[in-house]
Amino acid sequence: MSDVANRRTAHVVDCAGVSRTYQEDAVPVQALRDVDFQFSRGEFASLSGPSGSGKSTLLNLIGGLDRADEGAIAVDGVALNRLSESELSDLRLRRIGFVFQSYNLIPVLSAQENVEFIMQLQGVARGERAEQAVECLASLGIAELARRRPGELSGGQQQRVAIARAIVTDPVLLLADEPSANLDSGTTEELLKLLRRLNHERGISILTATHDPMVMSYAKRRVVLRDGAIVEDSAH
Amino acid sequence: MPIKLLLQMSLRNILRHRRRNGMMLAAVVVAVAAVVLMNSMIRGMQQDMADAAVENLVGHVKVLAPGYRDDPGIARTFALAGDWRPPDGAPEVAGWAMRVRVPAVIMSERGTRGIQFVGVNPAQEGISFLSSARMVGESLKDASDGRIIIGQALAEQLETGLGRRLVIITQGADGLNREAGFRIAGLYDADGEGMEGFFVFTGVGALQEMVGAEVFTELSIRLHEEPALFALKDALVEVFTGLEVLDWRELEPQAAAMFVFADAAVLIWFFVMMGALVFGLVNTLVTSVMERIRELGMLRAVGMRPRSVVAQVVIESSALMLIGVAVGIALGLAAVFAMGDGLDLSLWSEGVESFGMRTLLRPVPLVDDVLLIALLSLGLGVVASLYPAWRAIKVKPLEALRR
Repeated sequence: MSDVANRRTAHVVDCAGVSRTYQEDAVPVQALRDVDFQFSRGEFASLSGPSGSGKSTLLNLIGGLDRADEGAIAVDGVALNRLSESELSDLRLRRIGFVFQSYNLIPVLSAQENVEFIMQLQGVARGERAEQAVECLASLGIAELARRRPGELSGGQQQRVAIARAIVTDPVLLLADEPSANLDSGTTEELLKLLRRLNHERGISILTATHDPMVMSYAKRRVVLRDGAIVEDSAH
Repeated sequence: MPIKLLLQMSLRNILRHRRRNGMMLAAVVVAVAAVVLMNSMIRGMQQDMADAAVENLVGHVKVLAPGYRDDPGIARTFALAGDWRPPDGAPEVAGWAMRVRVPAVIMSERGTRGIQFVGVNPAQEGISFLSSARMVGESLKDASDGRIIIGQALAEQLETGLGRRLVIITQGADGLNREAGFRIAGLYDADGEGMEGFFVFTGVGALQEMVGAEVFTELSIRLHEEPALFALKDALVEVFTGLEVLDWRELEPQAAAMFVFADAAVLIWFFVMMGALVFGLVNTLVTSVMERIRELGMLRAVGMRPRSVVAQVVIESSALMLIGVAVGIALGLAAVFAMGDGLDLSLWSEGVESFGMRTLLRPVPLVDDVLLIALLSLGLGVVASLYPAWRAIKVKPLEALRR
């Protein structure tokens, strides 16, 4: 076990020597090779690179949705390698917010209920939950959509609800996997302005995997991967 | 995870696929209603068999002389005071009858038949079928009435009728044959032709006089409630030392066996119907889960634990079963009450009688059975949901999100 595991640092994410190999039709495919990556509190970074470069793999490993074959990953000082599946669930619930490419809202719940959902899992009291959800939706400019179900919302509106769900509990880290993939350029720009505002005003650490140059242009830091390794890491 | 949220999501998921779940619900309703109806029919048959056995001169408990069952006749009798009453401390009884029952031959001008010649006190026969059988002519007046009543079937066989005299031969207490003429007072119509052709009744005093002994061959006792049977039997065993005290299950083993079989039939029928249904339920739930596997993966990705996913699937299945069982039971009971007048089985009377039943079958719904059906159905609903739930959590969140 690396000493990264037990270290409390300013880094929200600390990856050391991380490798991940998948088996595809019995053929090993190395998605990440000995990656070292640190991500500090309050940063807004993009992980980019061609398909198969390993950006989504790295994002999934950091989010505790997958496990590294080698190396160590710590999120908010917690070593993921040591956690059981239940503990990983708990970590995702309490410290990480997820925004997915295809929104992944719960279709049978309204926008407000979707936002309240994570808080319900956390055991937040009903009154407080509703208040925070309404406030969060209002801060993202979609308060009037609170009662609508995902099927009644546009793609951009659904992605805003997904962001509200991801940030309402003040996670230490917001992970967004191709958040603009299903949005037109106008909606993407609105979304990115929103993410930048959240990063500026609330200090939320945002790490996004993307192909989209517009997303990369809004991020303060750009990390480029190729063939499972980081080939560029620059601030702008 | 809060149960309220699970309930809310589960119920909305049920409503989300209205047609599919509606079909499944309809299948549950029909299956449960069919089970309730069939169950009530089986219970009706069971009760009918028991009642027929008890009313067929058996009673709940009978006292006999030793050996009478193997060799029934006037040689195996016992004496009993005319004013005999059940012993103190015995359960309350509906009634009792002291009889003389001997094998005999009955003859008319046209035919001869072997019969059971039964001497009765009409005042005591409220406990047997004799009191409720349809009668043409007159009933016996009292224990000393020297006329006879015979079954309509026997009258047809002997080509005789009301008011005619018949000759009956039986063995006397001294071992010699006795022969006497009896006038027909009435013709009874029992549910079964077997009984009509077999039992001939006269006053017990008249028969005692014919056989030359003031004795009885049987004391038959009927209870208000069957559960008191064993307590009564125990009380009688203490009083009638040296005699056999037998309950109706021992005296009518075929009926008793059918009675037990009916208990098993209730469960067999349930598991056949509901077992077939479970396959449909599992299939529906697996389809539902697989359609939502991405959604379930997302729920787990954002922190929902596997046990909560299992709980959601189980709640969905249980909710479907709960609604289906409630409506199915209501429908089944409505069908039972609609058939309150009973089902006429007289077209198959011979077959029905061979099972010791009467030709009018009334369904009997039992609260215990309905509760059992409800609980077992809900239990099956939970069991049926476990496989789909396992399928739901077997797929890792990341894999589910990629689908």
